[in-house]
Amino acid sequence: MAAVGDGAIELLVCGRDAALVWDRAEAGRPPDEHERSCPYCTAAYAEAARLDVAVHRMAVEPVDPPPSVLASVMGAVRAAPRLADTLLLDSPLGPNRLARPAAAAVLRAAVDAMDGMRARSCRIEQPGPGTTADVTLTVAARFGLDLAGATARVRQTVFAASEQVLGVPLRRVDIEVVDLWET
Amino acid sequence: MSLDDLTLVVRAQEGDVRAFEALARRHEAALYRTAVRVTGDGAEAEDALQEALLDAWRHLDGFRGDAAFSTWMYRLVTNRCVAALRRRRPVPAADAGADVAAADSPERTALFDLELAALGRAVQDLPDDLRVCWVLRELAGLGYGDIATITGVKETAVRGRIHRARVRLAGVMRAWQQ
Repeated sequence: MAAVGDGAIELLVCGRDAALVWDRAEAGRPPDEHERSCPYCTAAYAEAARLDVAVHRMAVEPVDPPPSVLASVMGAVRAAPRLADTLLLDSPLGPNRLARPAAAAVLRAAVDAMDGMRARSCRIEQPGPGTTADVTLTVAARFGLDLAGATARVRQTVFAASEQVLGVPLRRVDIEVVDLWET
Repeated sequence: MSLDDLTLVVRAQEGDVRAFEALARRHEAALYRTAVRVTGDGAEAEDALQEALLDAWRHLDGFRGDAAFSTWMYRLVTNRCVAALRRRRPVPAADAGADVAAADSPERTALFDLELAALGRAVQDLPDDLRVCWVLRELAGLGYGDIATITGVKETAVRGRIHRARVRLAGVMRAWQQ
């Protein structure tokens, strides 16, 4: 039977779905009992296996993008940051501005450096210019970690990093463990 | 420390440029290979990859994690490739594919080169919709469900297209393998 329309799959003369026979051959799974004795299935299976040799060679051919592609993408990305918002820091010389994504990256790095913890989302909200800030953090933890103890340490680490590295004292830190990972 | 895609996506969504760079670096080779095989042209593939990565940065908020990040990226790069194919003036497809398939490989035997070049031309001769599905399946190694998500057609249609592409390619390659 010939293929009709976009979705129809050709059936072999013996009634088997040709695509299924083909999939099996390509995956290297042995033919079943019918396929071993059926000349139509045997032919389809052999043809699939033959083509697959050349296709496999094409698939593993090293084809790599020139480094200029990523360089030019990142150039454009850095020139047009998606979030240009800033935190305001009080200083004796007047208010200082700190890019919020950069501040979040510092806090995430502090969490990443802890055993068994990876920071995911890190949102820093400052109720007013120069005030203390609130941090909402989601983390992924290593499977089997004592979560209560670990989140308490994350909280301490984030409080310390924000005040000492960024110069932004915090009022509160909310932490949610959203994922577990195994080593 | 190697972070999972989802962690990097969330960070990038919050404006972390380095997280986005890590994602782009992780996936660019596979995306580029797909673009080269779909367009049959290295320069067009570079453009498609570059545009797709910029699309990703601009529309990252629209990524909700329903599918894998790689699946989402394959859709962006495939869309860019298809747009490039539509823009293209009709050229002999055989010429467009030849230089990619037979790229510098002086060490190999002539027969291997010729067979691979013939397969490259046969792939370029496929209709665009068949070629896109076939490349995603056979060269990128994706499942039918993912390809349906990427191309926006039903899974049964994806299976049909891939099968028709295989039958056509097998017909062309038969001459080389006897």
